[in-house]
Formats: sequence, C-alpha cells, structure tokens
Amino acid sequence: MNWLLGGSPQTQEHQGESSTLGFDAKEVSNISSFLGQPGLFDSQKLHPLAGLDRGIEYLDLEEEQLNTVEGAQGLIPSRNWTDDLCYGTGAVYLLGLGVGGAYGFQEGLQNLPANSSSRLKLNTVLNHITKRGPFLGNSAGVLALTYNLIDSSLDAVRGKHDDLNSVAAGALAGALFRSSAGVRPMGYSTVIMAAAAGAWCGIKRVLQ
Amino acid sequence: MSADHTRDPCPIVVLSDFGGAFSMGVIGGCVWHGIKGFRNSPYGERGYGTISAIKSRAPVVGGNFGVWGGLFSTFDCSVKAIRKREDAWNAVIAGFFTGGALAIRGGWRHTRNSAITCACLLGVFEGVGMMMQRMTAQPTMAPAYPEDVKPLSA
Repeated sequence: MNWLLGGSPQTQEHQGESSTLGFDAKEVSNISSFLGQPGLFDSQKLHPLAGLDRGIEYLDLEEEQLNTVEGAQGLIPSRNWTDDLCYGTGAVYLLGLGVGGAYGFQEGLQNLPANSSSRLKLNTVLNHITKRGPFLGNSAGVLALTYNLIDSSLDAVRGKHDDLNSVAAGALAGALFRSSAGVRPMGYSTVIMAAAAGAWCGIKRVLQ
Repeated sequence: MSADHTRDPCPIVVLSDFGGAFSMGVIGGCVWHGIKGFRNSPYGERGYGTISAIKSRAPVVGGNFGVWGGLFSTFDCSVKAIRKREDAWNAVIAGFFTGGALAIRGGWRHTRNSAITCACLLGVFEGVGMMMQRMTAQPTMAPAYPEDVKPLSA
C-alpha cells in the first residue's frame, strides 16, 4: 500500500553499516582481529541458496525513483513534477466537478417544472448539473494547473519544497487567474488562493 | 505482455489521467484558441481578442479532454479488473464505453454510433502503436555460427 498512502522510504536507507556488513567497521584494528570473529564465515550464510526464507527482494527500477527534492514527499509519492501536476490537477478538477455537480443537482431539484413528465424532470436536473459542474470544475482545474506549474518551477529554482513556495505559488496563480478583471478582483483572488494554499499545507501536515 | 512500469497501478491512475488530460487540453486550448482569437479579431483589438478567447474557451477544451481521458481511464481499469488481462482489446472496449457514455444524452442512435466510432478510433490507435513498437524494436540477431565446420576426420 506504499503507493497509495505514501510510505516512508527513508526508513529503508538508514539501516546502519553493522547490519549490512556483519561487523562494525570502526572496531576493526587489524585483519586478524576481524578474520577471527566468530560467525563471519558461516557456511549457512555464504551458501548460494542462503536467505531464501526471508522472502523476495525487488529491484528498484530507475523510473520508480521517488522525487528527491527536499521536503517534496507529499500524500501520494510522486516521481517528478509531472506526477504532482497530474495528480494535483486531477484531484482538484474532480473535486470541483463533484461540488459543482452537487450544487447543480439540488438547484435542479428546486426548479422542477410543475406537472411535468419524469423524462422532463430528469432532463431539468441533468441540465442544471451540467451547467454548474463543468464550470466550477474547469475553473478549479485551471487554478490547480497554474498553481502546480508555478509551485514546481519555484521548487526547481530554490531546490527545496516548503510552505513558503506553496503560498507564493497560490498567490501568483490567483493573481494570474483574475488578472484581466481589474486590480480589486485580482487582489481578492490573490488573497483567497494564498490562504487556500496555506490551508492545504496545514491539512497535508495533519494528514501525513 | 509485461506490466507497464511507467504508469501507476490501477485505481489511482484514474486521478492522474484526469489531471494529465485536463492539463493537456488547457495548454493545447490556449495555443489553439489564442491563435484563433488573434486571427478572428479586428486590427487594434487582437491582443484583447486573444486573451478573451483563451479565457472563455481554453478551460472548456481542457474540461472536455479531462472528462474524456478520465472516463477512458476509469473504463480501462474496470475492463482490466473484469477481464484479468492486459492487451489491446482493453483500450477498444474502454473506448466503446467512453464514447457511449459521453453521448448518452443524445438518444439511442447517437449513443450507439458514437460508441462504435470511438471503439474504431481506439482500435486504430492501438494498431498504429503496435506497428510503431514493432518498427522501433531492436531486430533480434541470429547467433553467428561458424560457416563450414569440418567434420572430424580422425
């Protein structure tokens, strides 16, 4: 379940030398002292078929390497910035689509034409869903796309990923989103998006 | 056929495909409708026309792409789970269902035609993909045997 819940890859790397070598390298003074250690040339361990009872070891393939930017280990383990982009945009887009669709659904239920056939009722509700859902989803998706692009660029420039990057990327994305509507809407959208990015950082920290 | 290691495992790859297709649509829509808005605007308002065309159209293109890609991925995963195998038919079946689902409000005939068209399109894609794979694959070299081995005479 590592791929879904974002396991901790750090724990596998710091096992310490003593467990891999079989002895502590710092305590070795000369050859005979370490050749004479008991259990070093254990025929049970050196046999070609030794260690089969411990299960299978898997190769780490090159393309499955996780993101190495400092602090970039998110909820879902990502390989690079395209993973972040796709998952972030997809999640926000689906969320927008779902929320907008739910809003349209209840709006459609309220506006049912009186004394109409069930087919007409169904059509009314579907029309309201498809009016609200895609609009909210598209707007949210475009915002998330801009945010992720700017965030990944900032990560690459600064060489690390932290909350400051996220908030700055949110502010820039919000400013760009409403940049053609005038100064005041642009300011509102900047503040809202920066706050949303900050809130997301907090939620991520709680969930992790 | 071995598993594809460049793609994530099934339930969660749907999310990635939604986002990827949406991003592709938005960026492509920016280019497409930017040029279209620029060309269709009168002189002096070309910059404004470009911006407003992008603003109104690019998210819609992105949304269409995203819904198509996400639905396709969902159906692809479902078909994989039901058939328990990975081959080219998965994409064709998933394309059939995707085309049908997207056209389901247009009536029975429209749904059927759209599903069949989509399945054929995906079939062509898969065929072309396999052909490209076969063309770019390394040719298998036959082992070089020595030409004329003299029979043991002694």
